[in-house]
Amino acid sequence: MLPNLKAQSKWGWLIAAYLFLAGLGGGAYVTGVVADFVGGESAAISKIGVCLGFPCVLVGCVFLLADLGSPANFWRAAMRPNTSWIARGTIIITIFMILGAIHIAFWLWPFKGLAEAAGTRHFIGVLGAIFAFGTMIYTGILLGASRPIAFWSTAMLPLLFLVSALSTGIMAVVLIASLVGGTYAEPIHSLAKMDILLIILEMFVLGFYLQGTHRVPESRASAELVLTGAVAPLFWWGVAVLGLIAPLLLDLFGVSAAAGAGARSFAVLASICGITGGLFLRQVVLSGGIHAPLRAGRFEVALPIV
Amino acid sequence: MPRYGFVIDLKRCYGCYTCQVACKAANHTPQGIDWARCVPAETGSFPTALRQMVPLICQQCADPECLKVCPTGATTQDENGIVQVDKDLCMGCKYCIMACPYGARQTVDEWKTYFPDADGDLDPYEAYAKAEWEEKNGYGIATKCDYCTDRVKEGRQPACVEACPAKARYFGDLEDPESEVSILIRRERGFQLNPEFGTDPSCYYLPPR
Repeated sequence: MLPNLKAQSKWGWLIAAYLFLAGLGGGAYVTGVVADFVGGESAAISKIGVCLGFPCVLVGCVFLLADLGSPANFWRAAMRPNTSWIARGTIIITIFMILGAIHIAFWLWPFKGLAEAAGTRHFIGVLGAIFAFGTMIYTGILLGASRPIAFWSTAMLPLLFLVSALSTGIMAVVLIASLVGGTYAEPIHSLAKMDILLIILEMFVLGFYLQGTHRVPESRASAELVLTGAVAPLFWWGVAVLGLIAPLLLDLFGVSAAAGAGARSFAVLASICGITGGLFLRQVVLSGGIHAPLRAGRFEVALPIV
Repeated sequence: MPRYGFVIDLKRCYGCYTCQVACKAANHTPQGIDWARCVPAETGSFPTALRQMVPLICQQCADPECLKVCPTGATTQDENGIVQVDKDLCMGCKYCIMACPYGARQTVDEWKTYFPDADGDLDPYEAYAKAEWEEKNGYGIATKCDYCTDRVKEGRQPACVEACPAKARYFGDLEDPESEVSILIRRERGFQLNPEFGTDPSCYYLPPR
């Protein structure tokens, strides 16, 4: 008989917020760097993306610090990069934040001249984008390194978090660009189109991720918890409806000719829905984490509350 | 160098929870921390259902997951194969709690009194336990069973072994082929829990009836 498996309770909303903001920051930064290479009207969009990257990850780190049981030792987080993914991740996001801060500084007073030098800016941008991808992907590997939790320990999770990070990053750029005004109609239009593709891709990845849970009892229990159990309302309303279906429909309507002058409102609404859904996605994955039961001969025991 | 290990005889354990309480008494653990615990399991269905108590402790893996994921270097493995946590180095990220397949890592944020209905200060015994806990462990950090390292250094057995009334627990050196634990594992087909995680636990179980 299968014991009553319970989900882990030690990583909650604070960690979800961190994973989400690290992803969003990385995604926005990459969007900004790509827009910089496209040039033309996208240049202003680029600035928004780059300026979102470093601050979002920094705020995410504040959530991470708030979750630590002994925050005074936070500086030790990178002491064992040879085996620990938290240590490796700390190094990755630190380099990303330094590069992101340098990139932002290009537009500030003493370094202003550097922003005109496209070569330097592009060099920092590409370097930063590499570490931005590292930041987005590592959040999935971090959870995946926890081997007894089969729901996390899968190669699909880094991919799911990467697609969600790029999607929420683009939506954050669209949101800010729409709110600050200006003449960004053309770039917002192309970003919305890109986002439509990413949302569809994310739906597939999420589907395959959940489909892949059938192999062991603990991940089947996780899927059950997420699809029909206590986490189901957050998954179906927060992730499926608010995070994927709503922004997809709003974006589709927004880019179609029918929207006309209202396109900007659709973009804002789609972005708010999609970004919130990204946060809920991280929380759903965290609260679905169930440890493998222990097997002693014919007997199986669920770990008491972890 | 010895490799300290445990043998837990499932057919002798009748689930009295003495190990759980003895561990609490010896290590002054607060509410919410049970380094040694007894978990009920069952198999089959009526009328052929069977119940079994499964005592759990830190398995002191030879290749521990908690050591691998620890980012701070707070987790180390001593010369006797015991995984130790340095309370001054741990930052409380709880990664080891996620990575340990055996639920051995536990943490609490504060001391919750065992006697919430009592008035005023903690009674002197609980105050003593609280002070001991704060000196050797603490709050917000990962804590775990260390096979009573301090008692073993004095030549005593771990508290749960000494207290077990069913004599279901044995402690000894797995490296020594003539030790009681090694002989029991060989003769009675001792097994490790979930060997598929590849951590090579130092805690062996003897089959249930």
